[in-house]
Amino acid sequence: MTSMTHLELENLVSDYLEGRLAATPHAQVASHLAGCSSCRQLVDDVRRVMELCRSAEVLEPAPGLTRRILLATVGERKPSLRDRIAAYLRPVWQPRFAYGAAMAVFSFSIIVNAAGIDLRRLKLEDLNPRTWIYQANRNGHLLYARAEKFYYDLRVVYEIESRRKQLRQQTGHEKQQQETPKHESPGGGSTDGNGITKPELASVRNFAMAPWLIGRGSVSSRSLIP
Amino acid sequence: MERDPELVKRCLSGDSAAWEELLRSHTRKIYNLCYRFSGQGSDAEDLTQEIFIKIFQTLRSYDAAQGSFQTWLNRVARNHLVDHYRRTRKDRLTSSLEDETTPLEAKPGSGVSPAEHVESRERKELLQSALERLSPDMREAVILRDLQDLDYQEIAQVLGVPEGTVKSRINRGRLELARVLKRMEI
Repeated sequence: MTSMTHLELENLVSDYLEGRLAATPHAQVASHLAGCSSCRQLVDDVRRVMELCRSAEVLEPAPGLTRRILLATVGERKPSLRDRIAAYLRPVWQPRFAYGAAMAVFSFSIIVNAAGIDLRRLKLEDLNPRTWIYQANRNGHLLYARAEKFYYDLRVVYEIESRRKQLRQQTGHEKQQQETPKHESPGGGSTDGNGITKPELASVRNFAMAPWLIGRGSVSSRSLIP
Repeated sequence: MERDPELVKRCLSGDSAAWEELLRSHTRKIYNLCYRFSGQGSDAEDLTQEIFIKIFQTLRSYDAAQGSFQTWLNRVARNHLVDHYRRTRKDRLTSSLEDETTPLEAKPGSGVSPAEHVESRERKELLQSALERLSPDMREAVILRDLQDLDYQEIAQVLGVPEGTVKSRINRGRLELARVLKRMEI
């Protein structure tokens, strides 16, 4: 194998790095590089230059460049129907509009539901806003009444309410008793100190029994509250 | 790229949508080529526009039998860039560069290769600056090979020179670029 000069190697650097050398010259280059540090450095530098070039970023032209060229060549292209539709819908294809549309559908479904409209059996009068308002109002009241009934039907609430009522009545009687000496009737009055008369006690007992009746569903608690 | 011949045919029959598609598929590549030659974003845009206007005007002269549309486009672009260079004359010649360059052997012990320095700096600016210091012949050969990824045969067609000349220019261009980068870093 003949030896290679620095200049000869320099001329073959690219072919060597791109694997385009035949076996013999490739071996000659490899042999020269094994014993020549400056040529090794040169080959490394060229290899890195090639890598640098190939890893260089692809630059993006300005967004308006293509349009400018189009204007300069074919002029303003008449938009097709598809282009026009796409241009018309372009503002709609955005997340905020999708969100708005979803909210609109949601609101519409709430209104339809509140108005009690059956979309499968839609009637002409269902399209009248007055019907919607009437139905929504009716459903609102029904909902409120059900919620109220549910609240008063709760045993705890019932107990608290009846106890409160009892206490209120008791306080009323005590006040009445304090005022009685001033306005005592000539015929005298009750000497009972607890201030609750027999019919009232019966009423209180009825309240205590009421939850059982309610539990059977035959009597509403509302009907028991005087 | 496979659709280029069909698009060219449609363009020639007056289909502006085909021209738009052709334009959109090649603008970026031509813009990059122009940028690597001129080194200025605004110049590159103007040159890209001029090249495509020329392409539009001479599309009838394209002969698919003589090579791909991409090669023809690159050839028109390259000729336009050379004309532009001749008009502006702002490039430095390699000869003046070589006067400043010291041989590699005269810089022992630097220890760090050009590319290692390059990685720690703005790669883009450095590479562009180094490319601008190459002679136009070497620069276009290196750009077409290492930045545009054309093969030797295509480059020979674009430049209108034998393949051996292309190989020689690319090799000398790379060696020169390595030297320039090394010098810029020291």
